[in-house]
Amino acid sequence: MSTEPEKLLVVEDLTTTFATPGGPLPAVGGISFNINKNETLGIVGESGSGKTVLSRTIMGLQPRTNVTVTGSVLLNGHQIVGASENEKRKYWGIDVAMVFQDPMTSLNPVMRIGKQIDESLRVRLGMSREAAKARAIELLELVGIPSPERRYSAYPGQLSGGMRQRVVIAIALACSPKLLMADEPTTGLDVTIQAQILNLIDELKERLHMSVILVTHDLGVVATRTSRIIVMYAGRIVEIGDTREVFTNHRMPYTRALLESSPKVTNPSHTRLIAIPGRPPNLMKLSAGCSFAPRCAYATERCHQERPELQSSGAPGHFFACWNPLPASQGAPTS
Amino acid sequence: MSDLQDEAPLVEKSEKREPMGVLFWVCVGWIVLNVFGAIFANVLPLQNPLYQNYALVNAGPSLHHLLGTDDLGRDIFTRIVYGSRVSISVGVGAMIIGFGIGAPLGMLAAYRRGRFDAILTTVMYVLLAFPAIIATIAVLSFWTPRSLYKIIVVIGIASIPLVYRVIRTATMAVATKDYVTAAKVQGATDRRILVKELLPNIAPIGISFLLIGVATVIILEGALAFLGLSVNPPTPSWGNMINESRTVLAQNPWLALFPSLAICLFLLGLNFMGDRLRSHYDVTEVKL
Repeated sequence: MSTEPEKLLVVEDLTTTFATPGGPLPAVGGISFNINKNETLGIVGESGSGKTVLSRTIMGLQPRTNVTVTGSVLLNGHQIVGASENEKRKYWGIDVAMVFQDPMTSLNPVMRIGKQIDESLRVRLGMSREAAKARAIELLELVGIPSPERRYSAYPGQLSGGMRQRVVIAIALACSPKLLMADEPTTGLDVTIQAQILNLIDELKERLHMSVILVTHDLGVVATRTSRIIVMYAGRIVEIGDTREVFTNHRMPYTRALLESSPKVTNPSHTRLIAIPGRPPNLMKLSAGCSFAPRCAYATERCHQERPELQSSGAPGHFFACWNPLPASQGAPTS
Repeated sequence: MSDLQDEAPLVEKSEKREPMGVLFWVCVGWIVLNVFGAIFANVLPLQNPLYQNYALVNAGPSLHHLLGTDDLGRDIFTRIVYGSRVSISVGVGAMIIGFGIGAPLGMLAAYRRGRFDAILTTVMYVLLAFPAIIATIAVLSFWTPRSLYKIIVVIGIASIPLVYRVIRTATMAVATKDYVTAAKVQGATDRRILVKELLPNIAPIGISFLLIGVATVIILEGALAFLGLSVNPPTPSWGNMINESRTVLAQNPWLALFPSLAICLFLLGLNFMGDRLRSHYDVTEVKL
């Protein structure tokens, strides 16, 4: 596989289990995937599917107690699972940076925004006060903030949500990270601003040769902006593949259900949206079988008894976990 | 950029803050005047606080004795000014000890959580369960001879759990915010997070609690003095002046009134100031 691009992030058999009073809660179970350089990977799934826990685990951000992480996360050659805070501090900001969901709470309200960008420039990169300020203004300009010199000394309370999210991105980009983790970066924003922020992330990824992980529950967001998609359900990957492949040739019924439950412009008016019946399973009482089986229209006896492992669909890089996959829409069914 | 949505809200006028109000400055003036009097009491043209004029006991206010004299013929105005030395230094000194130890511990516990927090918080709650006034009375009864610094130390230590609890709660509310996590994943050290992210955000609560704490300690000193457990007479303090007035309340009500008024106005000033400062510097109240 020498033609393959170098892997920036390699996740292997990653499991995150929380110890709760009611017993262990496997929020993320047995996840393996990798990200190439300069690639955007989408992670989709409904609320509670483990997207956020997965992204935090990859960052190495867990509560100090009551959590067990096993498996391996290799980020640019650093092992993150089991690393100490001091070790993590070496790659935080430089190898990986994070954009948070709610720009209203991800900026320090009593610090001028310029200072918040300066911080990591001066502490991590050892820049002088003047150089850091110049660079911070450059970064503000880069993320599309008009008259950055003036905004440099503004407080977060003086900016709108979209502007704040731009500032959050500027902070994340301060040390030129190789991987940008964007955990639902647009959920807290107005619909009109969402596209702007996503386009900005996209544009910056190209310009700065980063890789991006885009965590979202909105399939519309990932459709045009990612090269590959991971579909998560109940803490596990149920389908992974190239974006085009997953959209047009998905095999897992859950993926189809997700796609069908988002509205389409081409639908005639007054078409009812198809909702997925039931609710996501209780992670503490997972059955031995497929966790989607209770809600799945195609479920058979086997689905309730045995958990399907990821299997190849035939297309390169496209895997799904299902005993009764949907027929491949192009070409003959594979099994 | 075509961010019309984004362009509007940067308001220049928010740079100049709303005025503090007359009441605030009156309070500041009063507190400053009191502190000034306490510091320069022996330089100011005051009478001797210990001089007893037996020809003029229990006199009402007059030109020569602005607030009258007490049962031993001492000038009440002079004694109130000298008494503020004890009251203010106990209030400020005890709070320095209380905040010096309680605040860092509270911040650290709230930030680190885990076992450190669990043990420390349990200890503090056990201390809190024991009434501070009883504890200080017990200690001061046996730790003789009493002096100003002993009173400061005892009240200061007794205030640590209270400060700890307030600061810990305030820090916990901030420590879970995304911007703290954001600073962390940008590689900020724990110390930096504590000083740069957490401290400025809990400072408004801390300062107003500090001012109210000074007020509370002054009342506590008054209570101790009333029980005869503060500085030894004849050194005046606001509390022991009220204590002494007790026996002559019928003949000379001024003697109880003026020191009480001194405590009352000083405390009122502190409380107003603390409250106004807190609301003024609360930039977290987004006004969009």
